[in-house]
Amino acid sequence: MSVAQVEAREVQLEALPSGLWADTWRRLRHNPAAIVGFVLVGIFLFVAIFAPLIAPEDPRSGDLSRLGGTCCPGPSADYWFGLDQQGRDVFSRIVYGARYSLLIGIVSVAVGLSVGLFFGAIAGYFGGWVDSLIMRCTDIMLSIPGLLLAIGIVAVLGQGIWQIMIAVGVTQIPIFARLLRGSILATRESDYVLAARSVGVPKRSILASHILPNSISPVIVQGTLALATAIIDVAALGFLGLGPQDPATPEWGTMLTDTTRYLQTAPHLALIPGVAIVISVLGFNLIGDGLREALDPKFRGRG
Amino acid sequence: MLRFVVRRLLLLIPILIGLSILVFLWIRALPAGPAQSLLGERATPETIAQIEEQYGLDRPIHIQYWRYLKTVAQGDLGTTIRTRRPVTDELQERFPATIELALAALLFATLLGIPLGFVAAKRYGTWIDHSSLVASLIGISIPIFFLAILLKYVFAVQLGWLPTVGRISVLIDLEHPTNFYTIDALIAGDLYAFWDVIKHLILPAIALGSIPLAVTARITRAAVLDVQNEDYVRTARAKGLPPRVVDVRHIFRNALLPITTIIGLQTGLLLSGAVLTETVFAFPGMGTWLVEAIRQRDFPVLQGGILFVSFVFVIVNLIVDISYALINPRIRVS
Repeated sequence: MSVAQVEAREVQLEALPSGLWADTWRRLRHNPAAIVGFVLVGIFLFVAIFAPLIAPEDPRSGDLSRLGGTCCPGPSADYWFGLDQQGRDVFSRIVYGARYSLLIGIVSVAVGLSVGLFFGAIAGYFGGWVDSLIMRCTDIMLSIPGLLLAIGIVAVLGQGIWQIMIAVGVTQIPIFARLLRGSILATRESDYVLAARSVGVPKRSILASHILPNSISPVIVQGTLALATAIIDVAALGFLGLGPQDPATPEWGTMLTDTTRYLQTAPHLALIPGVAIVISVLGFNLIGDGLREALDPKFRGRG
Repeated sequence: MLRFVVRRLLLLIPILIGLSILVFLWIRALPAGPAQSLLGERATPETIAQIEEQYGLDRPIHIQYWRYLKTVAQGDLGTTIRTRRPVTDELQERFPATIELALAALLFATLLGIPLGFVAAKRYGTWIDHSSLVASLIGISIPIFFLAILLKYVFAVQLGWLPTVGRISVLIDLEHPTNFYTIDALIAGDLYAFWDVIKHLILPAIALGSIPLAVTARITRAAVLDVQNEDYVRTARAKGLPPRVVDVRHIFRNALLPITTIIGLQTGLLLSGAVLTETVFAFPGMGTWLVEAIRQRDFPVLQGGILFVSFVFVIVNLIVDISYALINPRIRVS
């Protein structure tokens, strides 16, 4: 960077709003990876919302006669993503599958986030034995590998979309609880809170303008990354045959289940749903990574 | 140091108790009820009565829990519904398979991830650095089971270089004193069998190791970047130590701390991931065992498996914590 550029940059910096979120948003826009993330997630959202308009066929019912005795015709002009073993249009199934992935992902993260934050805030705020009790409970939950915990929950609740949401959500509770608690504890003791207290800033505005904004940003980052994990976990349950009860449901993970049998003749049956999962997960991961950098005070103020 | 280990061991007690309560309640929460769940569809009134007697299912809940704890502590995890064999017997066959696979995955991840992260940090800001970041982000975004299917399709189905399923070729006759097939083959002195076992491990290990690889590379990069600017590194450089010595003794040594922690934290992921990887490659480990158990509603297997895997997970975390303390001079001295 030349001197002139640096000066121009400084002028630019001074002129910009200095709020946390405005600052974050500005730096996200300058992060190419995050922009790619927004584009991928944007496509994913668009497809999920407008699925009935985009999908040319009913994703659930197929026509075996279209297979012509082979399994299974690959991508063609008529069927962009080919047909599956039951003669269903894979493109339509992928489009509708975006809805399931998005819905299940968002609801399960909402479950994990709200319950986790509730307990995390209580633990961080009260401290003492309440804190110890809640933390030991999270220890216990974290001692069961995530996918096994989810499998155990589905075994109790039975198969179905809501059950999957709860199962995946519950595995995320301890993560959010610990995160917010740790974040509140760290912020409470930080120098700037001490400084604010020493110059006589009222308690309420310390909490509102110092502790919470600084405690919540790791939660937002984790929330975005958790969406990525949730989509993978949901697909994993589907892949293991624990997906939605109705096997005709166009869930991406479920679509991958039986494909290994057709790998030799119809690799598109495995490739296409897999790529769909990767794209949506990558999108959320890119945004989460960008957010983490944008919210990190260490980087703030730099371009 | 000793106090730290003792404290950490004491913390283990509430976790193990909580874990046993959780699994105990889980069996009771199953739709079919505990006796039916533990016996399966072939349950007769007599066997149900026997199970109820064994676990004291008509007694108050805390007595039931105590009996349950005693049974489990004696190493009795019940009999499977599918084969009517003791759960622990099958566990002894399945568990070494998963450990062998997880260790191979970890080996793959660290042997490749640490140098990658190191190089990326050394070439900070160059295309090598950027592409390693992109690659690791894509790495953590690919579901393990999808990567496993891809690897299987390319290297096993299309190219035919490696076997598609199993732990060992059916035609190979090998004694299994340890159930770690690599060790078994070495004990038998059968190098052909050994190579066959390795070939069966390669693809599952790469699939399972992909996420730990991406995470290890990223953490190594971040840790090296962090350590590089420390005063002691500058001092070491200033007194004229050759760059390579500074790299190894000062930077790498200190960067190793966060790396060990992260590798330890991957254990849970490895165990979860093993369930998926094993399913794709029909690898007869804990994962396929548990998945079959779900499909067949074989709850004793599920119970024993979840309890055992979580127990192992807790112990591994303990070992990671202690080894972390051993490496970290600040904790070691105090």
